[in-house]
Amino acid sequence: MLWKRQIPILIVAVIGSLTLFGWFVDEPNIKSFVDDDATQWYDILASFAIFLGGFNLLKLQLQKVLRKQYGWQYSLFAIGGFFFAIIAGFFYKGNPDVAWGTHVTAKGTLFKWMFTYMFAPMQATMFALLAFFVASASYRAFRIRNFEATLLLVSGIIIMIGRVPLGSNISSWFILYLLVLISGIAVNAIFKNKQYTLGIVVGGIALVTLAGNSMGWPLDQPGLFYLPYLQEWIYFFPNVAGARSIMIGIGLGIFATSIRYILGIEKSYIGE
Amino acid sequence: MNFLIDLILKLGTVDRRWIFLIIGTVVMIPLFFPLGLPIRATATTQQVYDTIDALPHGSKVLVSCEYGPSTKPEIHPMTLAVMRHLFKNNHKVYVTCLWPDGQFLAEEALDQVGGEEYGLKYGEDYVLLGFRPGNEAVVKGIVSNLRKLYTIDSRGTKVTEIPMMDGIHRFEDFDFLFSASAGYPGTIEWVQYAVDPTDVPMSTGTTSIQVNEVMPYVAAGQVNGILAGMPGAAEYEALIGVPGIGTSGMDAQSVAHLVIVLFIVLGNIGYFIERHRSKKY
Repeated sequence: MLWKRQIPILIVAVIGSLTLFGWFVDEPNIKSFVDDDATQWYDILASFAIFLGGFNLLKLQLQKVLRKQYGWQYSLFAIGGFFFAIIAGFFYKGNPDVAWGTHVTAKGTLFKWMFTYMFAPMQATMFALLAFFVASASYRAFRIRNFEATLLLVSGIIIMIGRVPLGSNISSWFILYLLVLISGIAVNAIFKNKQYTLGIVVGGIALVTLAGNSMGWPLDQPGLFYLPYLQEWIYFFPNVAGARSIMIGIGLGIFATSIRYILGIEKSYIGE
Repeated sequence: MNFLIDLILKLGTVDRRWIFLIIGTVVMIPLFFPLGLPIRATATTQQVYDTIDALPHGSKVLVSCEYGPSTKPEIHPMTLAVMRHLFKNNHKVYVTCLWPDGQFLAEEALDQVGGEEYGLKYGEDYVLLGFRPGNEAVVKGIVSNLRKLYTIDSRGTKVTEIPMMDGIHRFEDFDFLFSASAGYPGTIEWVQYAVDPTDVPMSTGTTSIQVNEVMPYVAAGQVNGILAGMPGAAEYEALIGVPGIGTSGMDAQSVAHLVIVLFIVLGNIGYFIERHRSKKY
């Protein structure tokens, strides 16, 4: 019990305290431990995790094949890929002129070939599929159901169009005309009166046209209706405010959890 | 009118494979027949350009590559554009990678820009230190003692034998950092563990989806500008006057975004018609 419980808790408490207080104590030995040694220990431990991950992957995939579970054929590719990478990494360079170690990224080696012609296209394909799913999902699920959803949708559209060159070429006057038409639809939906609607649309169009003529139709003026400016404002103000509050919340959560670990209250890492 | 309403409602139940086909087509067409839309630099891209341009010639610049093949279309063009700008201004470029696959792409970028385009010499003008495992621990290691972490570069050469490594012992010995980042570990870890404690200036280039979480650091002045996704790369290419992959991808992205917005608008019209009908009956 001592080795399984008290010792691990003691290690976490001591190392955790040292790492935390190393920032606040001006003691060269502690600083050196925190900045150099502890980070190197972490690197070494992190490197060992690859064995754990590798063996676990192999075990799960082999179990799937041996038990002929659903989709076991795909596991054959996973196992094949696993051993292919090990052979290319540790046993066969494919280019005798290249030294071991540098063969991973050097030209003409099996490992580099594997990265360029297998890994990179497969990863790129998986990521590229996202565009199709985003298009399909936004078509089906992005609905103006309430005020919050409307805000999200309008911001999303402004960002999507305002970020790309197409948005920079859309005049703010076009957006103003569009707003006049949308206002007409809104007035019609609320008052159900054709005269009101006509008045708003005709009056709005006349007003925008007059303003445009007097200002000489500049593409990015009035800036309030120019999509690139609008998207920059969304990024810099509402987005930053939201992101900051989330970050502060996460930071406080991390701090609280760290203190729980150091004090031995949180013991999930030893299975409790 | 009824025909139009029925058509919109029918479109709402269209098989998603049709949507996939439309998206695939509208992305492909501008790649073959570019529209040549003019590119306007946003304030954050201009800030990155101005910061790098203001560095004194011969500055020691650390470029960190934290991306892989999946995010290559977004990040790689900005890495190439920033490297072109750095080499044009005769800066010394040191490259590290917090992602294992970043090393392959960093080598590709250095070979293309440093080697082929500018004819520079490895070890004297640029060096690829490579990948080390450990995420933020690597950043901390670079900050405190780079030579403990990197005893050899990616080609197996001892760091002590590389001429341009003279005088480089820790992060503070660099004049500037550019982080080409697609996620964790990346820009945020560089800000928290390297830039804030040392005051070395940095700029970043990230995927579009990451901009939201990095923007607070840009707004606070901890990061000097941000290249936001492929549009950011295209804007940087326009600023340095060398159009590249970012620029060529912009037309496709513009049209794809427009089509997705049209899908959303169409979907909402259908939704309102359905809601109106259900209320009526």
